[in-house]
Amino acid sequence: MSLVLARHEWRRMFARPLAWTLLAVPLALLGYFFLLTLDAFLRLMPKLAGMSDAPGVTDLVALPLARAVASLLLLIVPLLGMRALAGEAQSATLPLLLTSGLSDARIVLGKQLAAMAFLAVLIALALSMPLSLGVGTTLDLGRLAAAAFGLWLFGAALSAIALAASAHTDHPTVAATVALAINLLLWMADAGARYEGVSSAFINYLALPTHLEPFLHGLVSSVDVIYFSLLAAVALILATRRLGARRIRG
Amino acid sequence: MPATPLLQLQDVSRALAGRNVVEDVNFQLDRGSVLGLLGVNGAGKSTTLRMIAGLLAPSRGRILIDGLDAAERTATSAALGYLPETAPLYPELRVIEQLAFCARTHRLRGAAATQAVARAIEQCGLGDVRRRLLGNLSRGYQQRAGIAAAIVHGPPLVVLDEPISGLDPLQAAKIRTLVRELGRERGVILSTHLLPDVEACCDRVVILHGGRVRHDGTLQAVTPDTLQVRVAAQVDAAMWKTLSFVQAADLAGGVWRVRLAPGTPAAQLAVAVVGNGWGLQELRGAEADLEQTFLRIASAAEPELAA
Repeated sequence: MSLVLARHEWRRMFARPLAWTLLAVPLALLGYFFLLTLDAFLRLMPKLAGMSDAPGVTDLVALPLARAVASLLLLIVPLLGMRALAGEAQSATLPLLLTSGLSDARIVLGKQLAAMAFLAVLIALALSMPLSLGVGTTLDLGRLAAAAFGLWLFGAALSAIALAASAHTDHPTVAATVALAINLLLWMADAGARYEGVSSAFINYLALPTHLEPFLHGLVSSVDVIYFSLLAAVALILATRRLGARRIRG
Repeated sequence: MPATPLLQLQDVSRALAGRNVVEDVNFQLDRGSVLGLLGVNGAGKSTTLRMIAGLLAPSRGRILIDGLDAAERTATSAALGYLPETAPLYPELRVIEQLAFCARTHRLRGAAATQAVARAIEQCGLGDVRRRLLGNLSRGYQQRAGIAAAIVHGPPLVVLDEPISGLDPLQAAKIRTLVRELGRERGVILSTHLLPDVEACCDRVVILHGGRVRHDGTLQAVTPDTLQVRVAAQVDAAMWKTLSFVQAADLAGGVWRVRLAPGTPAAQLAVAVVGNGWGLQELRGAEADLEQTFLRIASAAEPELAA
């Protein structure tokens, strides 16, 4: 049943200009960034040739690109998810979903699945750039796959946050702003402590980069998978509960 | 044992922002009838309908659809088709896409879904616009698409919140016809603040004012024992009373409202007026007592409470 809604969301997403824009603009920026890093790598190549155990093209081109994708996701995902529920409320289509026989949880899940499908496309297209280098050189494909998986989980957590923000207001722009603030807060959660010289395992655990970096280095560990899944689950539950509370609050 | 009524409201109340918008509302609806929920703006019509649709929980009381509590939204949704005041349509979708989506959310798949969509399109007269984008349709067509979306899964109970307001007379007439057709085998609730809507398509009327039910009755029960008469001659009330079958007569705006003794045919009055040489200019059934009732109820001072 959630898949019915996910397909419907997907169809609507691409019937409007926002999804196309959210694909085209980041990909154009990433393309430019990819060419810059590739150029830098080519200039470095003669020096690298003399080094033993020199970093390869995966380290010097693919990894920076994956980091750039992560930074862009922090900004794009709130825009992608802001209309999910707030937009439905604003355009008075929410009653259709709420009387459709879909439970609140399924509505939220359907929206999340559509967003995750969009993110999969965006990440696949972005990583196809370094992948194209495979024609001329050998790439660490395992590491690229881990990075893609990590970015997708990261994006899924962000999209759940955007959904939760979208469930709590009837104004998409407010939802986007709140989601962006939460994203940045989680992104920099450990920065303050580090600046003060405090190294707390708990604060580090909260921060998003702590869990994304291992993926980019090819390390898929369950603690990071659990962190992103937990973040997404909490946000989705909050969204579901808020949807249910509409009936009481009016 | 009597069958479970299709819809039952039991002492339903709802407070919004600390004020009682709907208070102790009771009524029932069965299949095969159209109930007009009549009231001025702010009478609590929409709030009542949103509670029936399960979008709002009653503060007190219970709403049963086919014996199931309306609060169990996923359980009652199959039995309920709801069209809110603003038709919930996705402007970027085509008519058939929206209807197919609605059918699928109600667990219709494959051929069953296709059939349901085709039936709704035919019933609501959307054949010509089935491939058009909803955002490009006229308001009348959008309203019909909204009704189609509400009935695509074949619910026995159809709840329409002001589907006719804001339409031109031609479109309004089409929607009224559609509502009457729906009422043949389903139970339909039609909310409106326009009396002609109720007279055109309802069997029963519930008048809501200030959040309370002030009148609940069938339309047929309103007997036309009052006639509106326009005559050329100068007559006064005493002259009317000389006719044995006239119980009361009063003049308002040049038109006499003449109340006849129960069971008197209108023709008898016409014969008498012509026989007396008063110059009969116009004779028609007074717009039912319903209008009188509605105006009396609606003009009672009540603060605006809710939409």
